[in-house]
Formats: sequence, structure tokens, C-alpha cells
Amino acid sequence: MDKIRRHLLLGAASSLAMPILPAYAETFQYDLKAVRIAQNSYVVIGKREFFTKENGGDIVNIAFISTSEGVVVIDTGPSQRYGVALKKLIKQTTGKEVVRVYNTHFHPDHCLGNQVFKTQDIAALPKTISGLKVSGDGFSDNLYRLLGDWMLGTELTIPGIPITFSSEKFGEHRFELLPMQGHTDADLAILDHTTGVLYAGDLCFLDRAATTPHADLQKWYEALKSLRKTPHKVIFPGHGPVDSTDRSIDQTDQYLRWLEGQLVASVKNGKDMIEASQMSVPPEFKSIDVIKDEIERSVAHLYPGLEEKLLPFVGQGDG
Amino acid sequence: MVLNFKMWAGLIQNFNTVILNRSPSFLALAAALVLGAHVHGVQASELPKDSVDSIMWENVAKQFILSDQEGSDKIVMDDRVQVVAPKIAEDQMNIPVHVDARGIENVRKIVVIADLNPLPKVLTYRPEKAAPRLSFRIKVEQGTPIRAAVLDGKGVWHIGATYVDAAGGGCSQPALAHSQNDWVSTLAEVRAKIWRSPAKEFSTLRVTIKHPMDTGLADGIPAFYVEDLVVKTPSGQRLGRLEIHEPVSENPTLTLFPKIKGSVDHVVLSGRDNEGNLIKVSVPAPVQSSHLQK
Ligand SMILES: [Zn+2]
Repeated sequence: MDKIRRHLLLGAASSLAMPILPAYAETFQYDLKAVRIAQNSYVVIGKREFFTKENGGDIVNIAFISTSEGVVVIDTGPSQRYGVALKKLIKQTTGKEVVRVYNTHFHPDHCLGNQVFKTQDIAALPKTISGLKVSGDGFSDNLYRLLGDWMLGTELTIPGIPITFSSEKFGEHRFELLPMQGHTDADLAILDHTTGVLYAGDLCFLDRAATTPHADLQKWYEALKSLRKTPHKVIFPGHGPVDSTDRSIDQTDQYLRWLEGQLVASVKNGKDMIEASQMSVPPEFKSIDVIKDEIERSVAHLYPGLEEKLLPFVGQGDG
Repeated sequence: MVLNFKMWAGLIQNFNTVILNRSPSFLALAAALVLGAHVHGVQASELPKDSVDSIMWENVAKQFILSDQEGSDKIVMDDRVQVVAPKIAEDQMNIPVHVDARGIENVRKIVVIADLNPLPKVLTYRPEKAAPRLSFRIKVEQGTPIRAAVLDGKGVWHIGATYVDAAGGGCSQPALAHSQNDWVSTLAEVRAKIWRSPAKEFSTLRVTIKHPMDTGLADGIPAFYVEDLVVKTPSGQRLGRLEIHEPVSENPTLTLFPKIKGSVDHVVLSGRDNEGNLIKVSVPAPVQSSHLQK
């Protein structure tokens, strides 16, 4: 979508929507709060929801670490406005400048605040960068549609530094950069050796259903195994509360395995995608927010692949 | 001169063709059109109100329903025609749809239309010896009504519809197959399975066919799609017949409910794409029942 069309669309949408939007949305200001979780380490915790015009996409977890050389930021949020609010919060909290930004993976809620930071400070795995180059504009268009005016002014900014190294040190903090896969084909987990906080990105969800638009479940299970083995004190998941008991690993693993089992059984029982979406959620997943909606989305993402794998081959045309 | 709605609609189509062809009979046809519409033409206002308030309803009715020689001019909105699809498309290239017309007697065919697609016609299904219901997946260009026009034994059209919201771009996006190097080697690969139980009148047949289903709307990629598929018994009796159009998703995946009787132990699926590639496979239809295996 070009910028002019975006403006026209948004103009029309906002004039209709204004009277029913709550006051905070009229000003499109994000209300971000920093929570200290370890020495020099702060997090901003998103709502456990899907993108809506009410939440402006404030549904993602962000972290920043105040080192003596400057601030290291992990993920940047869904929009330019979010980025501006985040940068202000970082300045208020630490009084320091940002020296490094990591994008944990290429999903738009983690990357579209990039433009308020310097391209040459933003680092991501090479496949995150190539993924953003291919799909970033499409993601951005989709968020304009879902979030409306919250997105005004947002432009995709591609990270300037491909991560081909395994650690970086800023001041007294040494960050181990762990390239993994499963949630997407490039998921960066970051271990701060100084504090023992493991920033898991969207490899871990807690009490908010995991999302699967680019998932490879077998690789995801492997990634969760290696996260479990990585020595850490606390896990900060990509969505959901801070986790000091590895519950985010357990829950993500259990939920995904349960989901996969349901989908496999549905294919084997001759169900189509619509029927497969109608599974009942077991009580152990009661605490997981937006689970019904995410199940429906996951069926759309995962079902065709399972059908291709599980329906028996009966022949080939003469193409 | 008596012009019913169908003729009127037909004339409009001719009219368009005439304009495009700059034919000398243009004036005569135009005059007939005006006269017909004034004197006896059934006006669009006589169409039943659309259940999903589609801005395209009148056009869709003229172009795809009233122009169909098999049916009459009688159209009713009918709750018994159920069209089920997600409210919001997660993947606009692959939106699951289920149409169920089991409430309608003697269904001759089911015509599925996505009003706002650049190519609205999705498929036509004739459940000759099958339950009048099916599942399939479609791609849409934008949010659109998806409707099923079900023709009954008396020639009456029963319309059911739903609305799917979508981000956009599904029809003009190249198929994923084109980003894979080996797609030609798996072209027209068929996977299928039948679930058959003596307790049920109709079996479940699920089939998925590897095919890019190019709409012709993506830059530089001509239309290339499976255009028909027939389900028969080994002796050649037709159970169901599908006419498939461009909006059906890449790798068409369908669920049909054929009536498989007696000693029939497999069905034959045959079809072709618009480039003449033929598909012919047989799908085993074993009876799955614990009490028969005793
Ligand atoms: Zn993600």
C-alpha cells in the first residue's frame, strides 16, 4: 500500500470511528511503564491480547538494559508512535542514550518501532533481516488495517547489523546471542550473563497463546529444549509476565504439543479446517489468554501442511 | 415484446459485448434493451434483499444466477443454505469455506460466488449422488461476501451468504509454488482418503491436488488452474461433479460427501486443468467399522 492510500484510508476510518473510541485512543498515546526485573534491567510488558484499535498493538514485551556504555534495547514495538514512547521511557528511566537495539525476530509487533533508532545500532539475525525485506511492508500494511491511526507515520526500518557473532559486551553486561528457530526461521534468544536474565523473544509465551504464522513446531520444541538447558535465573518471554520458574517454557511446549496432537487427529478423522478449529480447550490451559482466537489462526497456519503430510498419496496427473 | 429478467440480463451482457466489438447491430440491441426494460423487464428492485447487503448483489444476481439457463428467475434468501467461513481471514490465500444445503430438496447444483473478487465465480458443484454440502478453500482480493446459490429440483434458487474480512491481495499474489524450484515435479500430485461407515448414508472424501491455481492476475503469470473434477464409481456412475474456477486456493483441498454403496471398493477421481493436463486416480473406499471386522 502506498502512503497516499494509507492516508486516505485512515482519514475515512478515523472520522467514522472517533466518536466511539475511548479518550486514550483519541490521542493515540501509548501508556508504557518500565518494571525493574534485575540489576540495570527493565521491561515493558504488553497486554495479553491480539492487535486492536483499542490497544494500538501494545501487546508485546520489550526490555532495556542500562549499561555504563549506554542502553541495550530488545525489540521496539508495533509502530513509530510506540517507538517514540519507548525511547522517552528509556531516557526517563536511565538518563542514557541507546547504543544497541536487537530485534528478536521479524514479526511486526517486535520491529516496527525501529525507525526511531539509528539503523546502524539495530542488530538482528541475517534471516530476520531478509524476512523483513520480503514481508515487512506486507506486515506494516496489515497493522495499518488492524490498528488504524496508531500506525500513522510508521515506516519499515531494516536492521543495519546482521548478527554473525555470538556475543557482545556493553559496559559490565555481556550478552550471549543464541540463534534459534521454530517460532520463525530466525529467533534470537539473548542471555545477559551479568544478570542471568534470558530474553526468549517469542520462543516463549506465558498465559497468552503462542502464535504460529511462521512456525515450524519440531524446530520450536528443539529450541525450547535448548532454552531449558541454557543456565539462567529468569526468563522474559515475548508475551506474558516475567517467569522465574520456567513455566513459560513448559506452557509453550505443552500447548504447542497439545495443539499439534489435536490437528493431527483432526486430519486423520477426515475433518476440514473449519471443523478442526472447533476443538475444546482442556482446563490446564484456562489461564492462557486469547487461546480460542489463536487456535483458529493456528489451524489456518498449520493444517494445510499436516494434510499434505498425512493424507495418503493416491497418484499423480500427467502434468 | 416480453423480456423477463434473465433475457434482460443477457441483453446487458450482449450490450457490453457489442460495445466492445463495435458491432453495427449496436443500435438495434440498445433499442431493444431500453424497450424491454421499460415495458416488461423485471427490475432489480424485485430481487430479494441481500442477507449480507452486498453492493454487488444486483450484478452478481444478473451475471451468475439469472443468466443461468438451468434455473428459473425465482430467487429466495434461504437460511437453510449455510455458508460457514471465518469472520476474519487469517490467510487471504487460503480461506476455509463450508457450504451445507442439506435443508434444500433435490439440489441440482451449488454455485459459489465471492462477490468482490476480480473473478467472482468460485465453483459449481453438482452433488449427483452425494450430500449437497462441501468444503473447500478460496483466495480473496479483499473482504467480500461469499455466497452459495443453490438450485433446487423446481428451478428455484436458494441463496445463503456470509462475509469474510481480509487484508487484501490474495488473487493478484503469485502462488507460493512459484517460489519453489521443484513445483513442476509435484504438479497434479493427488492425496485423498475416504471415510466410510455403514452407519452413515454418505461417506467423507477428502482430496488435495498439488496445483498452483494461478488466476492470471499476478504479473506475468498466465491463468493455470484445475477446472473440473468428477467423482465416479468404478463402473462409471457419477457421484459428483465440480467445475472449479480461479479463486479456489493453490493446492485445491476439498471435502465431498458421496454416497458409496454395496461392494464398491474405490472411487475414481478424474479431472483436468485449463492447459489440458489430466488427472485420474482411484481412491480406496474401505468400510471402516469395528462390527464389520468381526
Ligand atoms: Zn512473534
